[in-house]
Amino acid sequence: MFTGLLAELEKNLKKLPGIGSKSAQRLAMFLISNHQDDALKLADSIRDAVEQYTNCSVCNILTEYEICKFCSDAHRNEQLLCIVENTQDVFLIENTQEFNGKYYVLNNLLSPIDGIGPDEISFPQLISLVKEREIEEVVLALSPSAEGESTINFLAAELTEFVQKITRLSTGLPFGGDIEYTNKLTLGNALIRRYSV
Amino acid sequence: MRVSKLEIIDFRNIHKFEKNFEPGGAIFFGKNGTGKTNLLEAISYCAFGKSIRSASDSELINFSKAFFRISAKFSFNHLENIITAANDDHKKLIKIDGTKISKISELYQYVKVVYFSPEDINLISGGPTNRRKFIDLAISQSSYKYLEDLRLYHRILKQRNALLKSDFSRNEKISWDTKFIEIGTRIIISRKKYLKEFIPGLSEKYFFVSGKRENLDVEYKHSFPTSEFEEFSNSFANHLERIESDEMRLQRTLAGPHLDDIIFKIDNNIARNFGSQGQKRSLVITARLVQADIIKRKDSEAPILIFDDVLADLDRGRAQRIMDLLGEEHQIFIATPNIELYEKFNLERIDLENLLNEK
Repeated sequence: MFTGLLAELEKNLKKLPGIGSKSAQRLAMFLISNHQDDALKLADSIRDAVEQYTNCSVCNILTEYEICKFCSDAHRNEQLLCIVENTQDVFLIENTQEFNGKYYVLNNLLSPIDGIGPDEISFPQLISLVKEREIEEVVLALSPSAEGESTINFLAAELTEFVQKITRLSTGLPFGGDIEYTNKLTLGNALIRRYSV
Repeated sequence: MRVSKLEIIDFRNIHKFEKNFEPGGAIFFGKNGTGKTNLLEAISYCAFGKSIRSASDSELINFSKAFFRISAKFSFNHLENIITAANDDHKKLIKIDGTKISKISELYQYVKVVYFSPEDINLISGGPTNRRKFIDLAISQSSYKYLEDLRLYHRILKQRNALLKSDFSRNEKISWDTKFIEIGTRIIISRKKYLKEFIPGLSEKYFFVSGKRENLDVEYKHSFPTSEFEEFSNSFANHLERIESDEMRLQRTLAGPHLDDIIFKIDNNIARNFGSQGQKRSLVITARLVQADIIKRKDSEAPILIFDDVLADLDRGRAQRIMDLLGEEHQIFIATPNIELYEKFNLERIDLENLLNEK
C-alpha cells in the first residue's frame, strides 16, 4: 500500500480513463523510479497542454488557438456543418478524409438525468452560427444511443427552419467487414436500411 | 434441450455436488432445508445468468466461502455446450465453452429453461410488475431485439422522467417523446403478438386442468385509450399530449408499456381478486406450460422444465391433469419433500439427504 506523496500520485492517476488501482501503482512507481527526466517532461507537457488548450470560440473544438485550424481554414466548405459530441469525434471524422466542411462540437448530449438541456449542448451559439453562415447542410454525426437519438431529434426539429438539408450518419455493415462477424443488431439495421444497386 | 451433467462448488448450502443426469430428468427429494431448491436454482442460473429467486450473487455464495462455481453441460439441437458461471471477489463470470460472455442475454440462445416457482403465484396475486416481468422475459428468451428495445425504452423513460422535473422547451420534449413513442409502441406490438399465441393455448389448457369447468379469458390492458381505427403510435402520442399538464404536475411519465397490465379472468371474474389459491396456482402453472410450448414451437426443441414443488397445494385432480399435460419431450426436474405425489413419473430419484451429507 502506498502512502504520502506516492498515494496522492496513485489517486490522481486513477482518475484517468481506463486506469485502475494496479495500473496506477505501476505507473506511479515507473514515474518516480528510473525515468525521472521523462516524468518531469511529462508533467511539463501536461501543464502546457492543459493551460494552452481552450475551446475554439467558434466551434468549441479543443485547440491551442483562439480560433481552431478548421474554422480558420478557407479551403473548407463553410456551408457544410458537421455536428459532433466531442473533439475526439472530429479527429475520427477527419481520419476518414471524406469530409471537407466545418465542425461544431456540442461537448454533451441531451440528458435530463444529468441536468443537460439545450443550453448545456451550446445550442444557442449553434443556432446563431447556423443563421449567420447560411448553412446549406447539417450532418448530425452523433451516437445512436438514447441520448444521441434524442439530441438528433431535437437539433433536427430546431434547425429545420434555417437549413435546407439535415442528415445523420447511416447505420449498418462495416466496410470490408464480414457478414458472419457482424452483430445481430447491426446486421438487422443494415437490412432495414438496405438500398438498391 | 437437455442438461447432462452438473457440477457445483459452494453454491448456497451446497458445498460440493457432481452428477450426470438422465435425458428424462430427475426428482430431488429430502427434508426441508436439504438444498433441493438450490440445485434447481443452480441449473436455472445457467439459463438466466442470475438467481431465479432474485437474490444477489453474494447471497448465493456458501456461507464463509469466497466464491461459487456452477458448471453444466447442455445439449441443444444436438450441439453440446458447457456453461460455467461463477462469482469470485464480487465479479460475475459466465463462460460458454470457455469463452467469456459480455451480456447475460447471450445465454438465452443456448439454454432454454422454464422455471415453475412457488413465487409464481404473484403473477396472479401480485401487482402488474409481476405480469410485465413474465411477458417481457418470455419474449426476451427468443427475441434479442425485444430485449434491446426494453433496455432502450427504460433508458428513455428515465430521461423523460428527469425531463418532466425540469424546465424544458417544446422541441426538447418532442425529441424525447418521438423515440419514447416509437420504442414504446414496438414493445406493445411485440407483447400483443406474443399474447395472440399465448392466450388460445392458455385457455385451452386451463379448461382441461380445471376439469372442463372453468373458462379463462386474458386481456391486455393499455395505459392509454386505444381504438381499432387508429394506429397504436397515434393513440399513444395523442394521449401523451392530453395528459401533458398532469405529467408536468406529477413530474413523471403516466402512460406507456411500463404501466400496462395483463388481466386474467376465470369465468369472467378477475382472477387476482376472486380466484381461489388452487385456481391461481393451477393458472400460473398452466401459463408456464404454455410459455414452454411457445419456446418449443420456435426452437423446434422442448425447453427444460423445472418444478419447485409447485403441485403441492393443488387438489389431486388438478395436480394429476397438469402432470398429464407434461410431454415426454421435456427434460424435467422436480424438487419435493413428498415423493409420493410424483409416483407416476418415471424419473431418476435423487435423495439429497444422503447425497449431500456423504461429502
